[in-house]
This record gives sequence, structure tokens and C-alpha cells, in this order.
Amino acid sequence: MSMPDRSDPAAPKKRLKTLEAEAKEAQRTIDELKARDALKTQFLSNISHDLRTPLAAIITHAEILREGMLGDLNTKQRDSVSGIVNGGQQLLDMIDEILTYVRGASDQVTLARTTFSITEVVDQVRLLNQALAAKKGLTIERLNGEDLPPVHADRDKLKHVLGNLIGNAIKFTPEGGRIWIRFSRRGRNADELVVEVGDTGRGISRGNHELIFREFAQVDASPSRPHHGTGLGLAIARKLVELHYGTIWVESELGKGSRFFFTLPLTATT
Amino acid sequence: MSARILIVEDSPLVTEAFSILFTEAGYEVDTAATVAEAIERGTSEVVDVMILDISLPDGSGLEVLGALRDSGSLPRATLAMTGHNDSESHRKCIEAGCAEVLLKPVPIAELLRQIKRHLQ
Repeated sequence: MSMPDRSDPAAPKKRLKTLEAEAKEAQRTIDELKARDALKTQFLSNISHDLRTPLAAIITHAEILREGMLGDLNTKQRDSVSGIVNGGQQLLDMIDEILTYVRGASDQVTLARTTFSITEVVDQVRLLNQALAAKKGLTIERLNGEDLPPVHADRDKLKHVLGNLIGNAIKFTPEGGRIWIRFSRRGRNADELVVEVGDTGRGISRGNHELIFREFAQVDASPSRPHHGTGLGLAIARKLVELHYGTIWVESELGKGSRFFFTLPLTATT
Repeated sequence: MSARILIVEDSPLVTEAFSILFTEAGYEVDTAATVAEAIERGTSEVVDVMILDISLPDGSGLEVLGALRDSGSLPRATLAMTGHNDSESHRKCIEAGCAEVLLKPVPIAELLRQIKRHLQ
């Protein structure tokens, strides 16, 4: 960028013209990027939807076999067919995650708020994850919350956030570790609920605390990474928490476990 | 006489899987891959339960329900199958008269349980 020539009386006008041209160019670029982003969102939505159909056929066929509807299977055969069902289910969860993200990205996610006990929802999510945690010898405990007032939130979305945080804790905590859920309150009238999901896992370095909440981001993105996923889970969790006027963050250090926090207003917010 | 199930689904892969499942579970099975075919099958034979995919090549599966209602051939129960997990699709299906809205793929135990429940 050249400095304006102060001796030339027409210089300010020329400069203004240049700036206007630059602004137009920038706007064109923004519009083009927005159009491409919308196209990407539409593509992800279509492909996610279309992937479900053949997957439905694969899982249904495998379930028919596993349940012995076409004849008895021996143990090895049943284990193998169960592998197909479980693999299909895992793939389906990933597709669902992409669909949820796509809806969030195109602002199609709306909240259906009701008033309910958060401890009840936490206990449901704990129960759902119990078998997976037990396989790794992990415990999932709820440390408090009996005296909490009800929350006014979207129950399913909250379940999604908790399921994601607890699922991550299971994934990244080595055998024999601990996972806990703890509640606290903050704000002038203690009207904000802070939900903590903590673990004794491998932790996250400070430099990555922001990165992990970005879509498609993974701390280890190499093809040989030990944990695979869409890299969308925490981005979705953040979106869902923000829709509730809450915030989400992590406190963690490498090798010292992680504590994820998110807030929810305890009084009704419209 | 065993109950008759009409599978309305445009994916031959899914239709084949469901046909095996329902035949093995002891039901009579009929299939249709388009709205037009579903209306024709649903009016020419008595259908007890219709498994209805919402996205069909020639229109919305919900159009089938309207046409069968008009001709007095509504099945005892219609279970909608959708790949869209959102409250708007769910609401539209229920308003159109579906007894249940199931998200693909439905675990077979759940699907058979729902069919049995609606046949009672």
C-alpha cells in the first residue's frame, strides 16, 4: 500500500476510490465464501442423509442374522455379526453428529425448553455410558446435585452435550481412571448453574484449549491418531450450550486430567 | 391369517432387509417403491400395517396416507420411517396420521415390537 501524495490535491479522492474498490472486492470475496459455505452445508446434509439408507440395510440384515431369525449361529459367527452391528451403529452416530452440526451451522437448531431435574438427566446419561466405561474399568460418579432447583432447558440438547463430554472423558481416560460430574452455582443470585465433567485422563495442553471447540479440530489430526471421530462433538456442544445463553470451557493440563465446564441459567430465559 | 405389511420404500436394499425380517417374523409382505405404487397396492389389498418412507422419488410418502384415507383404505397403523431427525418432520408425520415416527435405522426388536403393539 503506497502513502498518499500530500502535494497532490486530487490524492484524497484517488485514495477514496481505491478504498471503495478494495471494499467492493472484499465484499465480493465474502459473498463468494458464504455461497461456498452454504454449498458445503447442503452437501454435508444430503450426504449424511443418504448414508443412512444403505447403513439401515446393513444393520437390519446383520441384526436378523444375530437374532438367529435365519437359523442358529455359533458363538464365533454371532460375535462376528455383532461386530457388523456395532460398527454400523458407530458409523451412524458419526453421521448423526455431522447432521447435528450441519443444522447448527445453518441455524436450523431450535430449542424446545421444558423444566426438569438436571440430576435426572445426568443419571440417565451416566447409565447409558456405564457399559462402555466399565469395559475400561472406569467409574462415572455424580458427586452432588440433590438440592438443585430444576433447569429450564432443552432436555434432548442437554443430553447431547452431557453425552458428548462423558463420551470424550471415556475415550481419553486410561484404564482404571475416574470420571465425575459436579455442580456448583455462580452469579449475583446464584442463578447460574455450572456443570463440571471431570476426568483423570491424559489432559489437554493449554495451547489447545480453544482449538478443541472448533469444528473439525482434533488435537492429534494425524491419520495414525489413536482416537478417531468427526472432530465435531465439542463444536456442537458449544453451539448447543450457547443457544441456552451459556458458556463452555475447559481447564486442563497435559497429564493432569481435564475438567470441562458449562453454564446454564437456573431461571427461565426467553 | 397373518397380518399384512406394506413396505413403502424406494431403496431396494432396505426393502429386501425388511421383507426378510417381516416374512421370518410371520407376516405377509407387500412392497411399493413410489407414491403411485403405494396407493395402488394399498387400495387393491387390505393392509394392516404400512411402513412408510417419507422421501419417495415421485413425492412425499405422506401423500400416500391422504390418498388411502380418501378411498377408505387406511391401514390399521402407519409407521413412518425417516432419515430426518428433527421435530418439524416428526410433527408433519403425526399430523398426517402416522401412529409412530421412527428414525432409520430402527433396531429390529423395536420395529417388531411396534408392529405387534399396533396390531393388538
